[in-house]
Amino acid sequence: MLELLAYDFMQRSLLAAALVGSVCSVIGVFVVLRGLAFAGAGTAHAAFAGVTLAYLLGLPPLSLAIVFGLATVWITGWVEEKGRMKLDVSIGILYTATMALAILFLGLMKTYNPEVYGYLFGSVLSVTTEELLTIGGLSIAVLGTILLLSKELYFIAFDQEMAAASGVPARQIFYLLLTLVALTVVIALKTVGAILVFAMILIPASTAYQLTHSLTQMTLYSMLIGIFCAVTGVLLSYAFDLPSGPSIVLLATSLFFLAVCCSPKRLHRIQTE
Amino acid sequence: MTHPIIRFDHATFGFPGTVALEDISLSIPESEFVGVIGPNGSGKTTLCRAVLGLMAPIRGTLRVLDCACEELRCHHRALIGYLPQKGMLDRNFPVTVLEAVMMGRYGALGLFRRPSGKDRDIARQALTQVGMDHHRDSALGALSGGQQQRVFIARALAQQPRILLLDEPTTGLDLTAQHSVVELIQQLHQELKLTILMITHDINMIRSRVDRLVLLKTKLFAAGPPQDVLKPEILSQVYGKELVITDKDFIIVEDYHHHH
Repeated sequence: MLELLAYDFMQRSLLAAALVGSVCSVIGVFVVLRGLAFAGAGTAHAAFAGVTLAYLLGLPPLSLAIVFGLATVWITGWVEEKGRMKLDVSIGILYTATMALAILFLGLMKTYNPEVYGYLFGSVLSVTTEELLTIGGLSIAVLGTILLLSKELYFIAFDQEMAAASGVPARQIFYLLLTLVALTVVIALKTVGAILVFAMILIPASTAYQLTHSLTQMTLYSMLIGIFCAVTGVLLSYAFDLPSGPSIVLLATSLFFLAVCCSPKRLHRIQTE
Repeated sequence: MTHPIIRFDHATFGFPGTVALEDISLSIPESEFVGVIGPNGSGKTTLCRAVLGLMAPIRGTLRVLDCACEELRCHHRALIGYLPQKGMLDRNFPVTVLEAVMMGRYGALGLFRRPSGKDRDIARQALTQVGMDHHRDSALGALSGGQQQRVFIARALAQQPRILLLDEPTTGLDLTAQHSVVELIQQLHQELKLTILMITHDINMIRSRVDRLVLLKTKLFAAGPPQDVLKPEILSQVYGKELVITDKDFIIVEDYHHHH
């Protein structure tokens, strides 16, 4: 197995997987606790629509992925804030509309472009040095922001109105969280793909949620699970010639079910009932 | 009378087309314990949100801590400890008691600053004041409803507030827990000289403990010492004819009185 690490492409893939695993799993803690799971899934599909349009126009794919991702996540936040319609309905509409756009843009391309499909299904083994630098830069920005504002992010995840009433600029922090979700989706797009990126945000955090009663511990566990699944998933996919995205996500899903079965919280509840 | 810490001056709150509270004029001096009562939908929670600066008056003015409420900044809000209505707490929310109380320090600390040992001491002291320090490492979700309310009161105290706003702190608790939470609030008022605004439906529980009662039904119906507000002719106008005051000064629904 060790000789694998001698290959440049494998070093890039493992580094990209570790970065994506850590960023997704850390932002996932706030997404799970704040109840934004579906919003993230919608953002991933919107970002893919951005990628397809960028290919159509000959622009860098991640640039429009960011624009589409941010627009979707901000509209979602605005709708939730105004309470004009139920969040699942508004996201459902945006989700399918952006997917329809993506299919439309794909249809407008005259030739089959395998690179675009790489963003849909993920292709971590083909990550280039430039892409790795983009992933690295954005990862540092997202994780750094979370580190600087973790106390406010935890508070709005717990209770946004209480946070606002206590003097925390809760609304601004909420929109910042949405922005970080969109950036995270873009970071992970190439590695795990638009369809599966949200699993990487949701599953490690949900697994950690089963294991602890402490916010800080949940974040730490989620990060370790995210990195472990991403790196091990890449190695498994190479060893057994499997697609990388599904390998990572299915490994994470297995850990999730294991955690549900062995959850100290659940066992404690069964004992007390 | 000391300088008012909260002053409504002909203030009206609501949204275009609907008025939640109309033409309220009320001054609350520092260190007063005020009970706010009224039927459902009478504007009690609106009053609370207004004092927190989450809702500006559409007419008139409201000044809190010598500042117009629409200009309340984060550092003002940090001086108002708030206990929201008991929502459905996710029993699995991963937060320990001490972590939840520490959140009370975040507003005063401001962005980018990490809590220090001093903030931790303040949070521990708040937990001691509500008698919950020995539970500091417990999961919040594992506590009883009454214990959780104590923790949330400690969270508000950790802000080192000048005003404590309590929105139905006893709702959803069993009788013993209701009693102990109200006793705790009274004790905190006496010890810390906090200005307390407590919204409640439990008139009998607080009547002997508050300095003043404010009776709302979209308008300010009555405000004064409990014995002046809790008169049959006033209550019947707000709650209808069903409420009666028994010979032992208990306010109950008339049907119950007849059948028992």
